[in-house]
Amino acid sequence: MITLTHFLVVSACIFCIGLYTVLAKRNAIMILVGIELMINAAILNFVAFSKYDKINYGGQVFALFAIVLAAASVAVGLAIILNVYRHYKTINPDNITDLRD
Amino acid sequence: MQDINIQLPSILDQVIQSIPAFKAELALIFAFLGSILATLFLDKIWKQSSFVITIIGIVASLILSTQQLGAPQNGFFGMLIIDDFSVYARGIIQVALLICVIFIQQHFHHKKFSKNLGDVYSILLAAALGMNILTMTSNWLLAFIAIETVSISSYILVGYFSENKKQSEASMKYVLFGSVSAAVMLYGLSLIYGFTGNLDFTSFEHIQGLIEAPKILLSIALLFMFVGIGFKLSFVPFHMWAPDVYEGAPTPITTFLSTVPKIGALVLLARLFEEWTSTSFFFSELVLVLVSVAAIVTMLAGNLIALRQSNIKRMMAYSSIGHTGFLLMALVGNLASEPQVLLFYIAVYTIMNLAVFGLIDILEQKTGSAQLENYQGLGKQFPILFSILTLLGISLVGLPPTAGFVGKLFVFTSIFDLFQFNNNRYYLILLVVGALTSVISLFYYFKIPLFAFLRKGNEIKILPTTSTQIVYITAILLGVSTLVLGIFPSILLSLFR
Repeated sequence: MITLTHFLVVSACIFCIGLYTVLAKRNAIMILVGIELMINAAILNFVAFSKYDKINYGGQVFALFAIVLAAASVAVGLAIILNVYRHYKTINPDNITDLRD
Repeated sequence: MQDINIQLPSILDQVIQSIPAFKAELALIFAFLGSILATLFLDKIWKQSSFVITIIGIVASLILSTQQLGAPQNGFFGMLIIDDFSVYARGIIQVALLICVIFIQQHFHHKKFSKNLGDVYSILLAAALGMNILTMTSNWLLAFIAIETVSISSYILVGYFSENKKQSEASMKYVLFGSVSAAVMLYGLSLIYGFTGNLDFTSFEHIQGLIEAPKILLSIALLFMFVGIGFKLSFVPFHMWAPDVYEGAPTPITTFLSTVPKIGALVLLARLFEEWTSTSFFFSELVLVLVSVAAIVTMLAGNLIALRQSNIKRMMAYSSIGHTGFLLMALVGNLASEPQVLLFYIAVYTIMNLAVFGLIDILEQKTGSAQLENYQGLGKQFPILFSILTLLGISLVGLPPTAGFVGKLFVFTSIFDLFQFNNNRYYLILLVVGALTSVISLFYYFKIPLFAFLRKGNEIKILPTTSTQIVYITAILLGVSTLVLGIFPSILLSLFR
């Protein structure tokens, strides 16, 4: 029997993997992948909790909108990273530090 | 399935009935579509077509939203709340956006681009739509969509031109930081939804669920949720992107970023704060402490780091971080007073920042630099410009007789009332830090007249500029209006009544 707890544990694991990817990876595209993992962890949470919200299905609607928004922001992110590559010939955020105190 | 068939007509009826509540935003949506089409088809015939459509759309939205004044209503099953507070906030947003659009048009229209300038206006309209929705919702779904709309539009605005290395770097930092904050916020919202089973943060079930939720998990969820709002407001410790983005982005875009999106996020936070601090349970205390500590740390960090900046745009970025802390303090003070105190400070802050960045834009075009050392001795060449800049500095510090002083006075009074009412030590610390940081800010704002008037500098070649007249006049009018509002604050206060 798969209970709510199983879903929550899985989503917490996915969130932590995503956060680790964001913090540790030295490649802007891998950071975007990490962000995507974090968003999907949240979506999994929403759908799992939505089982107990039979009247409005708020969680499921939220999940659908979150998928669309994630796609939009990743599309913009990829375009911007492409632009950075044209100027710097690298996409490692550690090497792109013209702006700093 | 049977239930849905019965409910559907009544649901559709209510959706249709709610459309008039949404008319100000519909004007923006039509202007958005119109501006895209105009860029595609009319641009070859008439270069300014999408600019004109944008101006018409914003003015129409402003007029339509002022008609909603004094008639509070709900729409779309309580997802939209239209009250006077949201109407005033939308008014400030619309006017500020109008000025930003003019600045952007004046800055870019004589430059040659491979890209189409018309698209910038449509993106600005999309951002305006998101901010309007932020000011009139208490539903997490709508709030998240609105925050993401504003964020994605801002990423595009910063990265759209990418004329040089700095601009592309600023946009990449912005998009990565922003997406991570949005993802963390989404996870926090999913946990809050799990505790309450409801997405409307003012509803009874929501408050009830938060009261019953386990403390540790609730603290994590609230912290995650504040990451997203903190990113939009750029309070410490989520401020790291702000100086880089403000310095890297083209100056008119910085003008937009430093003022307008903050208003929307602040109004959302004000609604949330007022509703959630009304109980005496754990989560209310937590929200109060989180916002107060964020305000204190933001005021200190923003103003102290601003002291050692040599680039004027970067200095103003830290100054706007410091002002975010003060806006959070005004938000706490909002508990004790009428909303017009908060609205007055927002309006004054917007006026001051628009004027300062407008003048910086002119200076940057004329001298080709944003470094303070390069402005040495320029006071003789541009006496009016630097006088207005000094006046705005006085207003940003909060010295009489300017509007900044009146705004700060109101905020301090309301916080002091709160402190006398319940002797919470956070209010006292807020008062002390607020006063202290105002004094600290004096030192860096007065660097501008120091360099311009008192230091003798080498002759700097003034670059020929085609037209800065309109920006110049707008900025001077805004600067003078801070003086007028400082002497007669009742002009603005009676507007917000």
